[in-house]
Amino acid sequence: MKQNFLYLVALITISCNSQEKKNDIPISPENKTYTFETVVDGIDIPWGMTWLPDGSMLVTEKSGVLYHVKNKTKSEIGNVPKVVARGQGGLLDITVHPKYKENGWIYIAYSSDNPIGSNTKIIRAKLQDEKLVAIETIYETTLEKASSRHFGCRIVFDNDGYLYFTVGERGNHDQNPQDITRDGGKVYRLNDDGSIPKDNPFVGKPDAKEAIWTYGNRNPQGMTKHPVTGDIWTHEHGPQGGDEINIVKKGANYGWPIITYGIDYDNTIISAISKKEGMEQPLYYWVPSIAPSGMTFVSSDLYPDWKGHLLVGSLKFQYLELDKIKDGKVIARQKIGTDIGRIRNVAQGPDGYIYIGVEGKGILKIIPN
Amino acid sequence: MSIRFVIVICFISVSFLSFKRGKISDYESIKKKQPFIQNTSNGKALYEELCIQCHLGTGQATKSIIPPLDGSDWLTKKRKESIHAIKYGLKGPITVNGKNYKGNMPAMGINDQEVTDVMNYIMTAWSNKQTKKVTVEEVATVKK
Repeated sequence: MKQNFLYLVALITISCNSQEKKNDIPISPENKTYTFETVVDGIDIPWGMTWLPDGSMLVTEKSGVLYHVKNKTKSEIGNVPKVVARGQGGLLDITVHPKYKENGWIYIAYSSDNPIGSNTKIIRAKLQDEKLVAIETIYETTLEKASSRHFGCRIVFDNDGYLYFTVGERGNHDQNPQDITRDGGKVYRLNDDGSIPKDNPFVGKPDAKEAIWTYGNRNPQGMTKHPVTGDIWTHEHGPQGGDEINIVKKGANYGWPIITYGIDYDNTIISAISKKEGMEQPLYYWVPSIAPSGMTFVSSDLYPDWKGHLLVGSLKFQYLELDKIKDGKVIARQKIGTDIGRIRNVAQGPDGYIYIGVEGKGILKIIPN
Repeated sequence: MSIRFVIVICFISVSFLSFKRGKISDYESIKKKQPFIQNTSNGKALYEELCIQCHLGTGQATKSIIPPLDGSDWLTKKRKESIHAIKYGLKGPITVNGKNYKGNMPAMGINDQEVTDVMNYIMTAWSNKQTKKVTVEEVATVKK
């Protein structure tokens, strides 16, 4: 009885505190030393963006349109696969191969159209006469339940040319994220042609999805390469509270839903614990959730105060967040673009400028004064 | 004071029971735990799939930035606009219960029947008590 009582007290404490993070770093107000310039407008949900060697951009619109953006005008690329733009699904990330000039490969993530339901799929293709050609499947997840939630999906190459991509747990956290024989709730690592690197952590494990690099993830919609260390950083959506920043580590378990700093959308407790041996702690977590999407480090000299630090888009609070990093920790946070709109994506272009994808607007470029 | 106390007690009990059961966040069990929601149509399942992330299980949302659905005067007074918002997304500022909101809501990519179901759910969930049901024919007349 006494034990039960203590347990109740513990639960009450957790319930009451779960939407407030103790000793959190407050976000400081915007210090506007820059302006926003529209690069292209009229793109409702600009999910992914990448650059071609001529400086033009490829931008995905979630509904299923791929745009080629040159000199502030956009034109549609042809032969884009059919996507299922329902709920969180649609045409998602896009990136070019690090050796694009030599091989012409473009990698695209989307929610596929198949009889069972929509799954996260990665393809690669080449661009010829403003059409996608030579389309190859790199990976398609297999999941049994139809769901329009938690597709991931960001794609990033590391310095050794491995392809990483994220897939959310598709709203099935009881079955997917902790099970390495199932897709979903994972960060994956592949060779650029879709084959599985021999040193992936679960190669040879019975029934394992050998493309898995990390597991216990919820829904990562941000991933980027650190410009100095070459590490792959991600962030992921928590439920209500508990969005996380993580550095991906071979074979690591990030704990969802066994450990979490969040609670469910109807205020029920998903887990009473936020730490467990054998499960990674986030580098930083947000309570309440900011609904992070898109992520990049600033490495250019155009923004001296931001250099070496992290930018994260917030869908919920409609600003860009600068997270100052020191010794592997977030030490300060600052708002950029207060109330600008739901920020879906952020990237540093080859010209060194920071570009943001804003829902209902399009792509904006941040010009320092 | 007393109502708040009762709510707290209920919440604790729900948390406690659900934790003991092990499958604490399974959506079926969530549904069983919410007796205050009367309508258990397809609309409720759609709400939990597509809307709950922002508008929350209570329909109250994070009121400082996202408009509530429970007790929303926009939902009662702006029937056509509500259908339009679910069907095509919502852009531009709106005023709900005297407060201005300027965020966008993305389109959900659902068909007219699903828009109908989710409208009929949110119009009768929580403390909402609208009686005139939305029909699929009515949704079909709302154009972009």
